[in-house]
Amino acid sequence: MNVREWALITFTILAQMSVGSFIVLGIVHYFVVRKSGEKQADELSDRALLAIGPVLALGMAASLLHLGNPVNAYKAVTNLGTSWLSREIFFGVLFAVAGAVFAVMQWKKIATFTVRNVVAMIAAVIGVALVYSMSQVYMMPTRPAWNLVTTPVSFYATTLLLGVLAMGAAFVANYWYVQRKNPGCASEQCVLLRDALRWIAISSIVLLGFQFVVLPLSIALMAASGAAASAAMFVGEYGVLFALRLVLVFLGAGVLGIFAYREAQNAGHERMLSILAYSAFAFVLVGEIVGRFLFYATATHFGLQ
Amino acid sequence: MAKQLGFHINSSVCANCKACQIACQDKNNLPTAIRWRRVVLYGGGNWVEKDGRWMPNGVFSYSVSFACMHCEKPLCVEACPTGAMVKRADGVVLVNQDQCVGCRYCEWACPYGAPHFNEAKGVMTKCNFCEDLLAQGQNPACVDACPMRAIEFGDIAELRAKYGTLAEIEPLPSAKITQPHAVVTPHRNAQASGKGTGKIMNLPEEL
Ligand code: SF4
Ligand code: SF4
Repeated sequence: MNVREWALITFTILAQMSVGSFIVLGIVHYFVVRKSGEKQADELSDRALLAIGPVLALGMAASLLHLGNPVNAYKAVTNLGTSWLSREIFFGVLFAVAGAVFAVMQWKKIATFTVRNVVAMIAAVIGVALVYSMSQVYMMPTRPAWNLVTTPVSFYATTLLLGVLAMGAAFVANYWYVQRKNPGCASEQCVLLRDALRWIAISSIVLLGFQFVVLPLSIALMAASGAAASAAMFVGEYGVLFALRLVLVFLGAGVLGIFAYREAQNAGHERMLSILAYSAFAFVLVGEIVGRFLFYATATHFGLQ
Repeated sequence: MAKQLGFHINSSVCANCKACQIACQDKNNLPTAIRWRRVVLYGGGNWVEKDGRWMPNGVFSYSVSFACMHCEKPLCVEACPTGAMVKRADGVVLVNQDQCVGCRYCEWACPYGAPHFNEAKGVMTKCNFCEDLLAQGQNPACVDACPMRAIEFGDIAELRAKYGTLAEIEPLPSAKITQPHAVVTPHRNAQASGKGTGKIMNLPEEL
């Protein structure tokens, strides 16, 4: 592994995390508006929304490090007709622009609630397209370990899992920020925090179950489709790292998820709940980074090299 | 139909001397680590003991010289995000280095390992069919360098009429992937792509 490959790992993980966060935040916001009104919903999610931008920007900056000749980077969207890499960059930039437009509108409360909703929906759809084109970049006949339906499926799984847990951590951070600025006024926010984290815990457990179906399936498909050497690496050469990845995601999304769910039932446990939300996110983030490392490290080339 | 240039590779006479490879590096002034044309040695079989004597058991080897195949379906061109990789009207696939962003995506896509990244320049390089020599009416350097006359070039339709349409023997990948513009005259021990029992015998630093 070298700088180039770490650049790709950083870019794909951060870009997927920001798409996932954007979608999760939108869903949470929608439900909170219905329950407690726009003001409380904005108080819960506006600062989290602003955190997504820098994450995406950092990811895109990292992607430049994998280029041998970055001065030509602006030319990389010129082959949209056939190149998935062009499309990936195109949707990446489009998602950044649409997300930024929405963030500014939401922050400054420009236009009506409905108009802002439409803009957010458009940005979310672009985000979904971005993750799809990211996966298609790897679908080529010369890379049999990647050329499988599990590539897009697992990219989406990572997107949602990281999105859910990143937003869990963001809500917690926001809660303490609000508490510090204005102690006492946050009782409604306190209820919302617990509600949101309960749902986040449930979703992360469900997504974990999904990951644990997709991962073995992807290795089975590799073994069955001309990438047996790659499949073997997951139990041989990279067995320890693969086990680490499974354990980290299991602990983060599963075990800590269950604890977080229980802690979120009762008021007064916010401190414990916060620790759980932060560590669940950290565990899963590291687990997914290891997973993406393995994705690149185990891909064998078909043909002559 | 427009002319499409291609190579005829006569593996049945190739002696693995690598003169083509050296001529290519020399003509194109390539760094030692970059070889646009390479000669791969493929072999297999083993030795068995019988009545106190060691006997060869299906031992074989043969060589295939290969470079960019200037494919009909060049996955490199399809993948390239900048349009730096292009297929010219005469079928030659070229990389325009002023346009190249150095993403190395073409390298992932090509089943022949034909695009070679120049670390120092940060851009891709590859066999250009000696386009400058062609323009002067001369032959590509590899063709003229071969002492066995194992490499020929020309319009692929004519080459196919002369030598048939075989374009895949081990260790070349299946021709279905990119439809290479090459015809191969197989060595008598040649094995079908994907069904080989041998392996590449070159030292890693040779390839
Ligand atoms: S051999 Fe590789 S680099 Fe050459 S045209 Fe075919 S796909 Fe492109
Ligand atoms: S390395 Fe250059 S030629 Fe190859 S795909 Fe990237 S931009 Fe195109």
